[in-house]
Amino acid sequence: MATPSKTPPGADPKQLERTGTVREIGSQAVWSLSSCKPGFGVDQLRDDNLETYWQSDGSQPHLVNIQFRRKTTVKMLCIYADYKSDESYTPSKISVRVGNNFHNLQEVRQLEMVEPSGWIHISLLDAKNSPIRTFMIQVAVLANHQNGRDTHMRQIKIYTPVEESSIGKFPRCTTVDFMMYRTIR
Amino acid sequence: MTVLQEPVQAAVWQALNHYAYMDAVFLAERLYAEVGSEEALYLLATCYFRSGKAYKAYRLLKTHTCSTPQCRYLLAKCCVDLSKLAEGEQVLTGGVLNKQKSQDDIITEFGDSASFTLSLLGHIYCKTDRVAKGSECFQKSLNLNPFLWSPFQSLCHLGEKLDPDQVFRLSSLHIPVAPPPPISPAQNPSHRLDTALMETPQDTLELNRLNLESSNGKLTSDSTVSYIDSSLISPDPCSLLANTVSMGSTGSLLGKPNKPKSGRSLLGGPAALSPLTPSFGILALDPSPGDPGYLQNYSGSLDAQQTAPSKKVRTSTAPLGRQEAGRLGTGRLLVRSPAPPSSVTSPQVLSPTLVAPPNIQPRRSTRLFTSASSTAKENSKKLKMKFPTKIPNRKTKCKAAKTANSNLNESLDILKLDSSMNDSKGLSTPGYQSITLQRAATDMVLYMLRELGRGYQALCCYNCQEAISILSSVPAHHYNTGWVLTHIGRAYFELAEYTQAERVFSEVRRIEAYRVEGMEIYSTTLWHLQKDVALSALSKDLTDMDRLCPQAWCVAGNCFSLQQEHDIAIKFFQRAIQVDPGFAYAYTLLGHEFALTEELDRALACFRNAIRVNNRHYNAWYGLGMIYYKQEKFSLAEIHFKKALSINPQSSVMLCHIGVVQHALKKSDSALETLNRAIGIDPKNPLCKFHRASILFANDKYKAALQELEELKQIVPKESLVYFLIGKVYKKLGQTHLALMNFSWAMDLDPKGANNQIKEAIDKRYLPEDEEPVTEDFLYDSESSMTDADDSQLHTAESDDVL
Repeated sequence: MATPSKTPPGADPKQLERTGTVREIGSQAVWSLSSCKPGFGVDQLRDDNLETYWQSDGSQPHLVNIQFRRKTTVKMLCIYADYKSDESYTPSKISVRVGNNFHNLQEVRQLEMVEPSGWIHISLLDAKNSPIRTFMIQVAVLANHQNGRDTHMRQIKIYTPVEESSIGKFPRCTTVDFMMYRTIR
Repeated sequence: MTVLQEPVQAAVWQALNHYAYMDAVFLAERLYAEVGSEEALYLLATCYFRSGKAYKAYRLLKTHTCSTPQCRYLLAKCCVDLSKLAEGEQVLTGGVLNKQKSQDDIITEFGDSASFTLSLLGHIYCKTDRVAKGSECFQKSLNLNPFLWSPFQSLCHLGEKLDPDQVFRLSSLHIPVAPPPPISPAQNPSHRLDTALMETPQDTLELNRLNLESSNGKLTSDSTVSYIDSSLISPDPCSLLANTVSMGSTGSLLGKPNKPKSGRSLLGGPAALSPLTPSFGILALDPSPGDPGYLQNYSGSLDAQQTAPSKKVRTSTAPLGRQEAGRLGTGRLLVRSPAPPSSVTSPQVLSPTLVAPPNIQPRRSTRLFTSASSTAKENSKKLKMKFPTKIPNRKTKCKAAKTANSNLNESLDILKLDSSMNDSKGLSTPGYQSITLQRAATDMVLYMLRELGRGYQALCCYNCQEAISILSSVPAHHYNTGWVLTHIGRAYFELAEYTQAERVFSEVRRIEAYRVEGMEIYSTTLWHLQKDVALSALSKDLTDMDRLCPQAWCVAGNCFSLQQEHDIAIKFFQRAIQVDPGFAYAYTLLGHEFALTEELDRALACFRNAIRVNNRHYNAWYGLGMIYYKQEKFSLAEIHFKKALSINPQSSVMLCHIGVVQHALKKSDSALETLNRAIGIDPKNPLCKFHRASILFANDKYKAALQELEELKQIVPKESLVYFLIGKVYKKLGQTHLALMNFSWAMDLDPKGANNQIKEAIDKRYLPEDEEPVTEDFLYDSESSMTDADDSQLHTAESDDVL
């Protein structure tokens, strides 16, 4: 079998945010980890800094649990992984599960990464290709490169689609002329 | 003791005048320690307050009894500044619990400063939710002193319909009196300037005139003319009340409105004489060759000063030449120069509030001219004021023609008349002349205030077109100032004409780069226009300039909001609120940010806070309606939108929203009616037409909808939503080709949107051919994917499950 091609990096999620079509909602959720090394925990995972990372400290699978206060529409998950800096700590197989609580999770996506070197975008769409609505998301690292035990994850971002225009159930308008009249600020 | 005070007091006032607060405080403290009188206490407290330490003044005045009106006024002011409103009220009126003084009592008690006291009291009442009493106080304050803008402004904000023509008018109380009777130096020490400052009602006019005439002979060249602001004169005997004989001559000085130049003084502002006011007061309207702007006339020999004006003076003021001190108008200029002690020093009260016989009278508006600069209560003996030379006006006669105002012409006529009269009579009735001149001057000021008041009132009632026309018709030199342009910009903003507003605001920035009031509106304008570069430049500039004003942080917040960085925007808006909890707009903007981040409860709280601060803040009412709309509580939304509309009836955007809500409530007829009204008010609003079309579509009136949309296509040809809706209409009509065509155009125009709705609309079509699957992630992986995959878009894939 041919060497599997490396996973190409996705676009910087910040660019996506700027388009105004998605919004980062990680701040509305409670994050927890299955295990972590002291000083390399949730804060480092959510600090918007690609230099710091989460390092797990237990047995596989390593889990990141994201619990929302209310059922939230989630469109996309972005994970930053870099083989060159993390080598054997780089996750290679990731499973994304959603559900209402810990006992209710169902896998919606599973993906394999080969030597990733940037942002990995994982879209979370249901059967009808619309973003899923859920209380909880669990990101499970099932395997690492070179069969490493622990994993490093540098950053995770979770996105929800921005509500359509403030009035009417229509898609977003595109021109400034239209948007000017859309709302009173 | 009394004698000792005067030099020290004079020194203190001098220090204050020169903003040397440390010196002033030090001396005042010594004086207070020495004398311990209430006057000294007041002086010390004033020094503290002016040096920016209101808390010191507050504590000082609290611990010592203060019974004089000035001390009580200052204490109340400190209380208000420190947000101790109840205490401030208690000081002024005797308490919330005790029997309160009526406003008339206050007027008689505070006398001279009653108008300011009432204004302060009105402010306290408004802040403590007693709006009716507050507006009453403001009205009374304006009655007493039509030159105060802040009560007028507050009344407009409360939504009261005032008639600026009535407000900014001199009543009988305010008629300028003849120059005060000259006080011979011998009398000075005994005179209290306070009384001198009192306005003399008309009945003393005669008396004054006589005095004036008699004093004519007395004043000689040795008296140095000086301007003194009436307030400058200390309550103590210093009063060398000016001999107002010169008033007469100065009257002629008032002359014609001049082209405003450096020597302008507007009502106590540092020197702005507009052509409108033959003499807003003081000095020279025209930078005549000897007239370097009034603050500069310290030097120059007395003679030179005095002769210069006299040359210019049309009337033969030569005899009075030396005594030109009588400048009408704002005697803000406090010109001090040491004069030979031998000369008669009689600081003149330049202000039109000439020294009057010691009647305590209601304040005279003209006096107000001069009061602004305050300070100088000087020991007249020590100070010799030099008479600032300005007299200009003669020259400006020709310029008079510039002002097209009939009012102006009238006053000019009066002036001319006076001048000619003077000429003929040879100063026979200088008093009369000066009175008429003063009158003309104040008329000018009041005229200006009336115009601006009308414009401002129109703006507060959201009659924006009218406001713009009124404000644009003020004379050019007033038009090109920050205040006028800012309000015109705001009027355009309320009309949703953002490009015009932006143009006006950028002009404001160019003229007055230090202006922060109104910049939050400018930032919102830029936000609407999505001009991120300009907005971030503005934000940087303002936050660098003044970190303590809420407007700067609002601008910063808007900047980040435009960049979709809502968390940072929230942080900045919260900072704005911290800096000034009374700034309603900051709450509104914060509410909008929370709404954008889906934290609707916090958004509701913010909007409610904004309404608590300012009941007429229609943006906050709109915000509440919008939140309820998002939560699908349509009837609540409608109520709030209607409330907002009642405050701002000309907003087409608001009407548009109401229309949509009514449609959501299934009241499609009223919805259409509302939208028709909206389009009637503002035909350029594309969203109204769009929503009208969508309502027609929902009601199955396809032809009408299509017609609307075709018109809309002409107005906004690049808007993808329009094509989307057209596509839907055609789909309903069964014309699949046209529908598909429009959907594809819609998708083309909206490459980054990845609109599921459009995709779905196409998906639902049964497409006979080309069902190319499109990978799920292709839309996300790169923004450019859309343009590449145009063809595949047309035939968007259907996922496996669909079929």
